[in-house]
Amino acid sequence: MTQLDPRVAMHLSDAAVSVELETPDMTLNIGPQHPSTHGVLRLIAKVDGERVDSVEPVIGYMHRGYEKLTEVRTYAQITALVNRIDWVSGFANEVPFVVAIERLLEIEAPERAQWIRLILTEMTRISSHLLFMSSYPLELGAATPLMYALREREHVMDLIEGATGGRFHPNFNRVGGVKPAAGGGSTQKKVSQDLPAGFLQGTLDAMDKIDAVCDELDELVTGNELIKLRTEGVGIIPADKAIEFGMSGPNLRASGVPFDLRKHEDILPYDQFEFEVPVGGLGDCYDRYVVRLAEVRQAVRIVRQAVGTIPSGPLQAKVPRILKVPPGEIYVRAENPKGEMGYYVVSQGGRIPYRVKIRSASFSNLSVLPWLLQGSLIPDLVAIMGSLDFVLGDVDR
Amino acid sequence: MTDSQSEATHDGAAGDDAAEPDPPGPLDAVGAELAEMVGATNWSAEHGTLRIEVTRERWTESVATLRGRLPFFSWLSAVDWSKETAVGELAADVEELQERFEVLCRLSSVTNADAAIVATTLAKDDAWIDSLVPVAGGAEWHEREAAEMFGIEFRGHPNLAKLYLPDRFEGHPLLKSYPLLAREVKPWPGTVDVENMPSTENTEADRMSAADAANGDAGDEA
Repeated sequence: MTQLDPRVAMHLSDAAVSVELETPDMTLNIGPQHPSTHGVLRLIAKVDGERVDSVEPVIGYMHRGYEKLTEVRTYAQITALVNRIDWVSGFANEVPFVVAIERLLEIEAPERAQWIRLILTEMTRISSHLLFMSSYPLELGAATPLMYALREREHVMDLIEGATGGRFHPNFNRVGGVKPAAGGGSTQKKVSQDLPAGFLQGTLDAMDKIDAVCDELDELVTGNELIKLRTEGVGIIPADKAIEFGMSGPNLRASGVPFDLRKHEDILPYDQFEFEVPVGGLGDCYDRYVVRLAEVRQAVRIVRQAVGTIPSGPLQAKVPRILKVPPGEIYVRAENPKGEMGYYVVSQGGRIPYRVKIRSASFSNLSVLPWLLQGSLIPDLVAIMGSLDFVLGDVDR
Repeated sequence: MTDSQSEATHDGAAGDDAAEPDPPGPLDAVGAELAEMVGATNWSAEHGTLRIEVTRERWTESVATLRGRLPFFSWLSAVDWSKETAVGELAADVEELQERFEVLCRLSSVTNADAAIVATTLAKDDAWIDSLVPVAGGAEWHEREAAEMFGIEFRGHPNLAKLYLPDRFEGHPLLKSYPLLAREVKPWPGTVDVENMPSTENTEADRMSAADAANGDAGDEA
């Protein structure tokens, strides 16, 4: 038997010792710049080997102080702010805010404007969910679905851009209706331009493509054994915890709670259309993925019906040129792609709100992380975080 | 000033309508029921927004009771009712205004559209309230935010550290008395619009003069 080189022997003994070392109380810093955080989120994790003992999310890197900024801007200027809260679904952020102001003013947007709002909100939902469909498998190590999902998402983005003039920040809603389409001129003109030519047909064509990509994603991801191994039974959120933490949207429904504000709030005419509310059972990462994919199909269904029934008529109700909102307090919420988005507006009767509280979905959805990640494995951490589908702009506001 | 008076008359008219004996809508029925459940001092259901006011002493208890009916913890925040403002607008009735904090917590149902905002009032020099974390875990971050933004103390909160702001940040930015630094450095171009707005009459002449004024201001700026 040959004698071991003493230096090798020393290393070997080191290795043996390190195997038996106690490993608690190691602090692992993740972020703020981490590819799977959808913005700038920092997690301070206390780990014991591969197991996470506790996690402290550090947020605020994207805090832009929107609630303060609303107190120095007129109502019309604020719509430009609010679509930057959750930049993946900018259009959907604007709707509850303008409806809140409309209700304080006791005016209602014309039917055609409501239909356009609804169509664009659902297209925003499709675009937001397709971004999740592309980024989530990527975070789990599957790069291919991204190509398929983003390719078809581009059709939706093009249509939103065609109608509103903006891909991410449409700033399209006006108190009392929607803006005349891009290049359409002043809202004061009697003959205002409508949606761009070919928008409705283009939307129907795009919906066929979205349906097709859902089938492709089903084949690529939904039944994929590796994806299932990474997500099934991981990051389970029971319904009562989801409710206690104010989790909303697909995250809540994945936990088996069939609650969708589109069925309960009347800010958009969803009662005119048939659609289902997909729910999960267990509330694990896989359920959250499956629910979102099912929601894309339902959104396609709603858009098809809405395009088929869109009424003609004006895009704007008669609104005073200078918006002075009567005193009052109102909270209006809507089912955003990420969950409950709401605005509590306190008006004192001026051109500027006295206070606006912005309730964003991702903030509450993310606040469950310390509870959820406790005791999970480090490899699951990214899978769990990604499944919550948050946007840091929506968390930090 | 005339504008705020006209707003006041509008408000009065709305109040008169509400005083008429209308058959109570579903919201009113829910409001009356919930208000009785928690022994509310006052409640209102204007603009489809149910507000239930309770005393500070009954705050935690009220939220715990209401969560039996409305389990979903939506949000918690505050309003600074203040006579001074470093930026933005004053309250319309600033002379009669009571300086106070209003703490609001929104709860809602997950089976129907029922929802309510629980509200309570805190004196500015005695701004503390019991934490809701023991009755709703979701309150933790919302209370940290309200604490740093308004300087309200949430007693019994497990970790009332700053949430958004840097640890060494001084002041409470959402107070009306807190200046907005950007506006101190450079006035917002929007003030041009705000100060030179023509009357609310939507006539062609006004529009023309508004356009002139806007052009004139733009010229001055340049």
